[in-house]
Amino acid sequence: MGKPKIGIYGLTGCAGDQLNILNCEDELLKIFDIFEVKSFVMASRAKDESVPLDVAFVEGSVSTEKDLEELKKVREKSRILVAIGHCAVFGGVQSMYMGCEAWMERYKKVYGKEDAVTISPPLEPRPLSAYVKVDAVLPGCPIEKEPFLKMAGLLAQGVIPKNPDYPVCAECKWKENECLLLKGEMCLGPITNSGCGAICPSHNIGCIGCWGPIEEENFAAGIALLESKGYTLDAVIKRFSIFGGTERGEKLAKYIESVKGGCNG
Amino acid sequence: MDRKINVEPIARVEGHGGITVTIENNEVKEVRFDILEGPRLFEQLVIGKTPEESVSISSRICAICFLSHRLAEIRAQERALDIKIGKKLQLLRKLAHFGEMIESHSLHYYLLALPDYLGYPDAISMVKKFPQEVTGALELKKYGNKVMEIVAGRRVHGENLTVGGIGRIPTDEELDWIKKRAKELIIEIERGLAVWEKLDIPDYMEEEMTFASVWPEDGSYDFRADTIKISDGTELPGDEYKTLTNERVVPHSFAKRCRYKGRPYSVGAQARMLIMQDRLDGEALKWFKKYYNERWHKNPHYNNVAQAIELLFCLEHIPEIVDEIKKTPWEDAVEGRDSGKGTGIVEAPRGLLIHHTEVEDGRVKYADYVIPTTQNLDAAELYMRNAVENLIKQGAEDLELPLEMIVRAYDPCISCSVHLVKVIRK
Repeated sequence: MGKPKIGIYGLTGCAGDQLNILNCEDELLKIFDIFEVKSFVMASRAKDESVPLDVAFVEGSVSTEKDLEELKKVREKSRILVAIGHCAVFGGVQSMYMGCEAWMERYKKVYGKEDAVTISPPLEPRPLSAYVKVDAVLPGCPIEKEPFLKMAGLLAQGVIPKNPDYPVCAECKWKENECLLLKGEMCLGPITNSGCGAICPSHNIGCIGCWGPIEEENFAAGIALLESKGYTLDAVIKRFSIFGGTERGEKLAKYIESVKGGCNG
Repeated sequence: MDRKINVEPIARVEGHGGITVTIENNEVKEVRFDILEGPRLFEQLVIGKTPEESVSISSRICAICFLSHRLAEIRAQERALDIKIGKKLQLLRKLAHFGEMIESHSLHYYLLALPDYLGYPDAISMVKKFPQEVTGALELKKYGNKVMEIVAGRRVHGENLTVGGIGRIPTDEELDWIKKRAKELIIEIERGLAVWEKLDIPDYMEEEMTFASVWPEDGSYDFRADTIKISDGTELPGDEYKTLTNERVVPHSFAKRCRYKGRPYSVGAQARMLIMQDRLDGEALKWFKKYYNERWHKNPHYNNVAQAIELLFCLEHIPEIVDEIKKTPWEDAVEGRDSGKGTGIVEAPRGLLIHHTEVEDGRVKYADYVIPTTQNLDAAELYMRNAVENLIKQGAEDLELPLEMIVRAYDPCISCSVHLVKVIRK
């Protein structure tokens, strides 16, 4: 069996996940040795889009018709499609208002009118899974080096990796940090995917939720907990929405409608 | 001969861009730098958020210069809210900013730009012929990242630096390592700078250009200020940035465009070095004198070597920054008000970056962000048009690589401004 063929792609986003792959300075040459990298446009002019891929890593949200077209092409030729980073997995900060119909209104505020830019029709930002089958995910804004290398190692051996299903709080406890929630800080650790190593709480900064909502999050309990610390519902909902992605956005929109009407904007 | 050249996506840039050139009867009809990166509407995402949240959100505009975005937003918020910070925090921000410059410039100069001049598709392919340079580049990049990790919290999107404060102050051991390693790495960038001497710098695009950068009030070569300086001699207070930028929307780009007095202008390391050259010192000044010539004023390729010289400057100055941080005692910020307007001006690795904010009762009411690549797009188009016109006259077949090299010289961070070359010969 030859080396697994991989491609690394970026849709709309900050390119931070591809950058953190380039940031594997000590391992970069090894990655290019273990895998046959057929496409990594951010790093190389040489690419071959004509061959089927064993694994495609895709970062970014689907935010234009062109993004969608590219995603479909990559999906079609790849055996395993891995969504990397918050934008690809959840939709990114740009999707925080999902469920509030106001996207085109906000678009017009930035660009003046609906058809000001004609190069590719814009779409309200959504994660990859809104359009295609995603086989594995690595969340994070950005992804971190260690979980990525672990994932790449498993994929090289033909194993489809699974992200841990415990929240940031678990990693924070392992580090023996003092709980910021107990100190009354706004911390989203209990409802946020682990993988970052509880980096912000380890810097005395409350988790901002950038690894996205954990599966089956109990956000109503999360809201109640922060309200009990003296934060207003509005302040909590705004914070929850930032890295909530499309799924939590829709849930939040329903929740808000049930408690006060209106939208998370 | 008619043809249409289309390079899409442009490789080795950050984000999605394309170049479309249409040639009819050997005449250039159109040269377009297309920006295909989708819209994310950041200026709307921060509305209603707290100053702190708006820092976390707006720094996500870009990964590679997240710290510049973060510092620009922090400065905007601190000006809006009249928050005064102490000297130690200023110095810690400066150290982190120098770290970002080292990381970004090493990535761009060695891994993204040099392969073109040396005839390789990427830096990995350069390893056999240039082993020391490539490993040196990776060491420099790793170091810049490590500085950001220590001071800013993470390599990308670190949250440690906040409005008026810092989550965790680096330990003396960490600071000592930063100082020691900076001195060790000077030889690596000097090796990289030596490569430039052997390169042929193309001249088929040259035209006199206007440049703009920050103009630090304390007389230093630095990346933060409240004043903008333009190469025509104009000095602008930060909140009058619109006199320079004049943003407008064009149909082929999700990034807006900027012109100064109706003409394209350039920002970036080349602009900074031309404007602040009298403030350079040490070995960086020697290398600048060695490589400087009048073509710097009309050729974007010199941005690449300006980045490498700036990288050296940062390494040379880190030891004194560290010493000062260590001897300066911590002072808490003095809080001001909860409403106001503020403009934060910094230099991102790829140029002048402006964040403007308006806050009312502790919530962001209005935001305006002007990104370096946005300011460079018209200049890049102008140089590409010049290149195509001259290359056609010379009968050149390959237009793609020369055009891609112009775009890459600007080190465009297209995800910011919202990647590629398309030549259409009809």
